[in-house]
Amino acid sequence: MNESLNQLTAAIKAGKRKIARSATAEALEAGLSPQSVLDALTEGMNDVGKRFKANEIFVPEVLVAARAMQKSMDLLEPILIASGIEPKFSIVIGTVEGDLHDIGKNLVTMMLKGANFKVIDLGVNVTAETFANAVNEHNPNVVGLSALLTTTMPAMESIVSELNKLNAPFKIMVGGAPITQEFAEQIGADGYSPDAASAVELAQKLCA
Amino acid sequence: MTPKQRIRASIDHQEPDKLPIDFGSSGLTSFHCSVVEQLRDHYKLEKRPVTICEPYQMLGEVDEDLLNVMGIDAQAVPSHANMFGFANENWKPWTTPWDQNVLVPERFNTTSDNTGNIYIYPQGDTDAPASGRMPKTSYFFDSIERLDPDFDEDDLNLEDNLEEFGPMSQAEETHWVEQAAKWRGCERAVTAGLSGTGLGDIALVPAPFLKNPKGVRGVADWYMLSAEEPEFLQGLFDRQTEIALQNIAKVHKIVGDVIDVVMICGTDFGTQNSLFCGVPQVRDIWLPRYKQINEWIHQNTSWRTFKHSCGAVEPLIETFIDCGFDILNPVQCSANGMEPEGLKANYGDRITFWGGGVNTQQTLPFGTPEQVREEVLSRCEIFAPGGGFVFNAIHNVQARTPVENVVAMIDAVHEYNGDK
Repeated sequence: MNESLNQLTAAIKAGKRKIARSATAEALEAGLSPQSVLDALTEGMNDVGKRFKANEIFVPEVLVAARAMQKSMDLLEPILIASGIEPKFSIVIGTVEGDLHDIGKNLVTMMLKGANFKVIDLGVNVTAETFANAVNEHNPNVVGLSALLTTTMPAMESIVSELNKLNAPFKIMVGGAPITQEFAEQIGADGYSPDAASAVELAQKLCA
Repeated sequence: MTPKQRIRASIDHQEPDKLPIDFGSSGLTSFHCSVVEQLRDHYKLEKRPVTICEPYQMLGEVDEDLLNVMGIDAQAVPSHANMFGFANENWKPWTTPWDQNVLVPERFNTTSDNTGNIYIYPQGDTDAPASGRMPKTSYFFDSIERLDPDFDEDDLNLEDNLEEFGPMSQAEETHWVEQAAKWRGCERAVTAGLSGTGLGDIALVPAPFLKNPKGVRGVADWYMLSAEEPEFLQGLFDRQTEIALQNIAKVHKIVGDVIDVVMICGTDFGTQNSLFCGVPQVRDIWLPRYKQINEWIHQNTSWRTFKHSCGAVEPLIETFIDCGFDILNPVQCSANGMEPEGLKANYGDRITFWGGGVNTQQTLPFGTPEQVREEVLSRCEIFAPGGGFVFNAIHNVQARTPVENVVAMIDAVHEYNGDK
């Protein structure tokens, strides 16, 4: 592998944003294909996800890695678009109505971007109607719902119910502190994941 | 035993005559205001609007009559100012989005937008940018991150994040004098929060009490500091501890042994499944400062110290003990590795569990009264023997929790105590 790509992967793993940016610039200036740069970046985030799942690193390390990834993506994204390279899968994601908590949802978003998903992030306090409109507009493979509060679990249930009425071939995954596999099944979601790294695996499985 | 003796004995790992109960002693161990109203109705107490003692989480004051009827052993000293930086005084009526009539402080000033979001302002100043938001379908406020336009992640300035820490004001001193007079001789164990000892409490980082906070005020930015800038946090916590110790000495001079338990820090180190921060980082960044605070208190006062951390913090309990904390709350048994039997066996004779009594994520809001009773009795049987346990739910009882489940929880503790 090219030296700057190795450097990029290492910078993502260690969360070194400045090196991530300079290695990306170097690789692109050296004429390396945008796909190879993207692959180096994905490799870095994949490693971060694995170590996070194994409790070797924690939320702060994932956040710095994701920020390094974003610095690289700032340079890479316009070139990917110009080259017609698009993520194969897309996901609409948001924290449900009444809930303003987004650390978990943002971690999932970052990890999904790192795994080369197109992510349409609707933010927090998202209504069923906003989710439905986004589904109609973006035709995603997956819709991801997050809730931190016991008081917003009923909102998650009603949004899933509304989304299941739509005539579109997407899957629904849910997560958040009080959410369980049992609750996910009970409300008609297609999957539940307990953490951000598992959420990527679940999204990939739901897209397969 | 008096309630005070009961709690003090339990914290000192002597089994009291009865298992002590707390509800209402802090912003971490209480009830949402809607639950307080339902409890007052259930126990047929005087009908009156619930007082909002903590507007951020919309917690309701547990008044003397409710404390008595539930047999509560702890008594809160209200803090001088709330999360939005104004005093809890000069009460006025307010109707919540869920149509509950409550009493809020004079400076609880709100506005709303066309989608029904309610905004609240730092120090009650509606000319300042709003610092809290409650969506129309929510039951409490969350902070609005007001990021410093001059913030430069490559040029962090310690002073920016120290704005809220300083010598105790005259108004606060007066507050302590009044509270000391009020609670001297109280039969319940008296609990109080100390200001400035919360090292990196994420709820305080966005500073909803400041009009124009500077420095690192974003939640994600703050979390990244422990990975990227540990020296910044160490420096900040050193300064904060230095200021806090001076203020604690003043508080102690005023209140002396009126207070039994002080809430030191609410920094959450755990998520549902793991830690927020590695054990070595906690030992490097937090432990020495916590130790300084706990040692001063233990050497100079009769107070016991209380540490709150949600989540799967079992790998950190040994560290909390090393820091000198006497009490751990809320003991989230529903998180990974936090099974009650293991906690009691491994740490139960060295730290007091104040919480852990019932799961507020599943059993209490969604279970049946019988399921609540069974879980509460089981937790009491595990945690209570030998002392080191004060009964409380895992964190505040949330809105929409059925009142019959809350009553089943209280009844079950009395059943365990042989009072029912």
